[in-house]
Amino acid sequence: MAEGGPKPSSSVKLVLLGEAAVGKSSLVLRFVNDDFQENREPTIGAAFLTQKCNLPSRTIKFEIWDTAGQERFASLAPMYYRNAQSALVVYDLTKASSLAKAKHWVAELQRQASPGIVIALVGNKLDLTSQSTGLENSMGGLSLSAAAGDGDEEEEEEGDARQITTAEAKSYADEEGLLFFETSAKTGHNVQEVFTAIANAIPESTLKTRGGPGSNRAGNGTGGDTFGSGGVNLSAVGETNKDGCAC
Amino acid sequence: MLSLSSLISKASSLIDPNILPPSLLNQVNGSTNDGQTPAVLFRSNFRLPDSESPLAVIPCELSLPTGEHYFGRLHLSESFLCFSSSAPSSVSGASSSSSSTAGPPSCGFTLPLVAIRRVERLHSRSYLFALAVTTWHNDQKLTLQFNSLRSTCEKFCEALKKNLRSQMSEMKNLRMLVGSCYSEWLVTGGKSKDGAKEEPDAGLGMVWKYPGDAKKLRDRSKMRLWAEYLRENGRNITLIRQPTFHKLIRVGLPNRLRGEVWELTSGSLYGRLFNPTLYTDTLTEFSGRHSLSIDEIEKDLNRSLPEYPGFQSEEGIGRLRRVLSAYSWKNPDVGYCQAMNIVVAALLIYMSETQAFFLLSTLCDRLVPGYYSQTMYGTLLDQRVFESLVEKTMPILWEHLVKSDVQLSVVSLPWFLSLFINSMPLVFAFRVLDVFFLEGPKVLFQVGLAILRINGEELLDVTDDGAFISCLKNYFLRLDESAHPRSDNEKLRAVTRFQELMVVAFREFSGITEQTITDQRTRHKDSVLSSIESFAKRTTLRNLGPESKRLATNDLGYIYDRFYKVLYERQERLAAIELEKERLNEKKVMSSARSISEKSINEKGRIGLGPSSQLMDYDYFREFLAGVAKWAIADSPSQLFSPGLGGSLDPQWGSNGRKKSINLSPWGDNAEPADHEFMQRLFRRWDTDYRSGLSLQDVVAGLAGIKGKKDIMESISYFFELYDDDGDGRVDREGILRISEALLFITRRGWETPPNIGDQNRNSEGKGGTDPFLGSVSGFIRRCFEYADPDQQGKQEEVSTGVEGMDELVDLLDLASDDEDGDSVKSPVKEKELKGKDKEKDEESGEKTSLDIDANTRPSAMSANIALDPANPLHITLPTFRMIVLADEVLEYFFETGFADSIVLSTDGSKTPSGRNVSAGASAFGNLGGGGIAGAKGLRGVLDNIVNDGMRVAQEVRRRMDEAQKEMERNAVPGKYKEDEEEEGDAKSIMEGDRELLKGAEASVVDEAAKLAIKTGIPDDDGASGTLLGSPTSSLATTHVGEELRTPTTPMPTRVEFEMDK
Repeated sequence: MAEGGPKPSSSVKLVLLGEAAVGKSSLVLRFVNDDFQENREPTIGAAFLTQKCNLPSRTIKFEIWDTAGQERFASLAPMYYRNAQSALVVYDLTKASSLAKAKHWVAELQRQASPGIVIALVGNKLDLTSQSTGLENSMGGLSLSAAAGDGDEEEEEEGDARQITTAEAKSYADEEGLLFFETSAKTGHNVQEVFTAIANAIPESTLKTRGGPGSNRAGNGTGGDTFGSGGVNLSAVGETNKDGCAC
Repeated sequence: MLSLSSLISKASSLIDPNILPPSLLNQVNGSTNDGQTPAVLFRSNFRLPDSESPLAVIPCELSLPTGEHYFGRLHLSESFLCFSSSAPSSVSGASSSSSSTAGPPSCGFTLPLVAIRRVERLHSRSYLFALAVTTWHNDQKLTLQFNSLRSTCEKFCEALKKNLRSQMSEMKNLRMLVGSCYSEWLVTGGKSKDGAKEEPDAGLGMVWKYPGDAKKLRDRSKMRLWAEYLRENGRNITLIRQPTFHKLIRVGLPNRLRGEVWELTSGSLYGRLFNPTLYTDTLTEFSGRHSLSIDEIEKDLNRSLPEYPGFQSEEGIGRLRRVLSAYSWKNPDVGYCQAMNIVVAALLIYMSETQAFFLLSTLCDRLVPGYYSQTMYGTLLDQRVFESLVEKTMPILWEHLVKSDVQLSVVSLPWFLSLFINSMPLVFAFRVLDVFFLEGPKVLFQVGLAILRINGEELLDVTDDGAFISCLKNYFLRLDESAHPRSDNEKLRAVTRFQELMVVAFREFSGITEQTITDQRTRHKDSVLSSIESFAKRTTLRNLGPESKRLATNDLGYIYDRFYKVLYERQERLAAIELEKERLNEKKVMSSARSISEKSINEKGRIGLGPSSQLMDYDYFREFLAGVAKWAIADSPSQLFSPGLGGSLDPQWGSNGRKKSINLSPWGDNAEPADHEFMQRLFRRWDTDYRSGLSLQDVVAGLAGIKGKKDIMESISYFFELYDDDGDGRVDREGILRISEALLFITRRGWETPPNIGDQNRNSEGKGGTDPFLGSVSGFIRRCFEYADPDQQGKQEEVSTGVEGMDELVDLLDLASDDEDGDSVKSPVKEKELKGKDKEKDEESGEKTSLDIDANTRPSAMSANIALDPANPLHITLPTFRMIVLADEVLEYFFETGFADSIVLSTDGSKTPSGRNVSAGASAFGNLGGGGIAGAKGLRGVLDNIVNDGMRVAQEVRRRMDEAQKEMERNAVPGKYKEDEEEEGDAKSIMEGDRELLKGAEASVVDEAAKLAIKTGIPDDDGASGTLLGSPTSSLATTHVGEELRTPTTPMPTRVEFEMDK
């Protein structure tokens, strides 16, 4: 349990959304266990994991809801993004359709989730693009050059399966006010950074209502939560039939 | 000999209605309260395929070769003989009480008729009626003693005999099936001549080991027990279920028999029996084909029970791929859903591909319906049901969860969706499955509840989702530990947590029955579906594409609702009509037909249940339009009213027709939509992908094209383009006429004219929405031809002479339009008004036209009519069209707002004419009232007639044009064609229109006579046409007609009333 540390600690609910097999679970696994498995069982419904993230001023305990990506599971999503303070919307850099799906999720969250939810757009599987070579060592990271995007990637550079340019995704993220990262769950590139950035972006005010005095576990109660953004969420959730819990 | 107690139980089985199987009860009551038909219940009781229906039932005593007796009921269906005991006999009573009270009947069988070798009538005691049944496995002889009237017994036997005969052909299938059953091999040791020669496929486990420690699972002794049971009670296809059978399953099935018993208890075995090649055929048929499901399956193949060695091999992956693909082809509505991969992978450990394929079908269709569907409504529904059961059975825990804002389904949903397979360690999950296939979906709920009950204490300390989940995760990992590790009692210490779970599930929650689940599902179904639908709607609306941005959000919502309402209601209606036809055709098959159709009807109709068709064909489109635009409603519904009669139909007849049980109109209770060329054009234009069907997106984009633009120029262009068939920027003569037809068509029920336009017209004639429009349209036609460009340069000089012919044309038009209203009654007073207004109209049109073309150009044009000359093809261009439209205030207004406003979306639900139970006329009338233009207009018959007349004007113009063209081709003397023709009088080629021409010419002569005729009220065709001769503009003439018809002699009121009645 989180004890002893003088730093204030608070928990943050985070939900992962995105098309099937873009690597949502792998990102989480990398973040939580610093591990990678080639063949993860698909997530049924949602998986729940927690991980702490230490910031200079405070500790954030992420309660991560990793959702199923298949299209038909979409109707279950409201159950999971209910009350979420942050969301990771993941797409696959090597699959054009996955960004469209990601945009859909962003729109859904902006309309239906808690107001003020912090959303990060994450392009995963950077290791499959030509950029990945050497990236593990040099954290040159987000070179904004979209060079890989034009031309017939497959013919020009064999290793590059990239279909979505950094520029394209970045400009969309800027437009919508999202955090933006390109990651590789396989190599671990940028994964920690995503979560740290989210942790930093969570407004202090929302944390206070949650964390309260003392250990987060006691104060983390949902009572505080329901007063704030909760009301709005509940109605959103009510629409999607889970109001059984809400009343 | 019958013992006393068995007599008592026999008697009670006859008396107590509660013991009657539901199927029988329902036959008596006619219908059930929860929407399940008797046939559905019958099938689910005996796990029969959907093709079966209950044909006969008879009370009966079953005597087994092992000496047991059971009382119960014997059922006969097309290809099965089924028995279920209604009360345990004295012999087995004690033992069966240990199983839950709500469990399956203590004894029963589901015997395919093909597995019966022989049926003999026993003559032992003359007053008893008994049969001896020899089954496929020779060693078995069942005695069935009927307890019913002799005649009933005879009848049952007759039916049995008949069905037995018809099943003979299935014998080959039976042999194949039996040969593939492990039990056959087990009992005969591979020596039976029909049985398996080599060990049948009992799943991947035969090669890669079955999960768990066989020794610890005591697999061997279980196998011995089963071998004994199977020897005594038949096997696979001929198995009799005695209480021991249930107990053997409760303790866990032995590995190699597991697959077969799952098949048997779930009933999927029978699907395999009757469709032995379906699986391989499906694979062959679709081999190499691609689909979204196939892609999705491919993605998950490597991540289905990856820890089981069999699924790290190509063989295991291959099997999984084939089963999932075959199912996705066979049931494309479900396709593939994640979690199916896990379930199928689990099945494949214990059974062959074919077996898994059929078991998967049974799962999706019957055991967990809707779980894996596109919307997963079954999953969500069962979560809701589960929540309500938790609330009921564990109120304190429930309250705590609510208070802590812990959402139960985040934990429980995966339990249900993957049948506990990836929640519990595999060995235990399979134990749950053993009972699940035997007793049905309630088992999932019982186990789920038991898990919460056992962990209740700890869960009460939990205050957030995370802790809740980890608490249960922990529990699952320790299922094999002792439930009472510190107990002094050694026996108690030996009880594992899993055993404890099973006991709690089936003892403490024995009150949860199939009926409970069914009731709860029915209760929550609506709200779950609505919430899915609202989510689907939200998602869909967001993804409609850029076009949709031009419409208001609530309009989009309205279109969405309307689109799917039409789509599903119509499907439902067509199905109902189909069913009704069937019923009329053959009363005998009624019961089976109904049960099948009822199912299919119930399955459709809601978005939440998953998609069926997502495209509207033209008929759907018409219905859709009729709901949003009053002009799209037919004037004279074809099925109920003969077209010419307008409102004069005998209401008696109509209402009788309507009161019949089912409305056989393909439009149901909705107004019958019109079918006009304009609507076809719209449809084609909206159908951007040439699919002969409109998607929601097409409809939204189409409507956005009309309603979304506020610029009059765009609106004019839109209309023009509709008629510019080849897209060359020109609309030819034909098109011009069609445009004018369309204009009249759209406005025939009135439209919201601005207050200051066409006032004069209105003042002089009372209130009229359409009337000024008619004038404008005829003006429009005239000007179109006036300003049309010839297609070829050489004929240009004739342009100036074109107008006179037009005048003629308009005259013809006048007379024609009235011609067909010959039956209406006219008064001389009106006649005078008409004349007076005549002049007014002329002046007015001159004033109105900014281009000042009317009065001046018309008389000057004298000779050949280019408009009518086919040698001079002409066209108008968009700029011309625009100019002409803008030249007329009314038309201008129409294009500015009228056209767009004629389609009513979400503004006010009550105003839209889409309401059910409102017929065409009534709704159009109501709408007009609502629109505020025709408040004083009164009777809708008037309207209808105006409308009809307007349409006729345009139609007549066309007809005349065509005929004139023909004439000209023949005569090549355009200027004189009329007289020539009259002279020639080519009797054979004279058509009706020609005769009218003739009449027109003579009319001035007979004018007086005609008037006389009218005065006296004699409906005289010639006379009627004569009355209006000489009125210079068509607008006037038609206006007049409209006005005249406004006399209250129309029979409309009665019709309106009767429609309300209905």
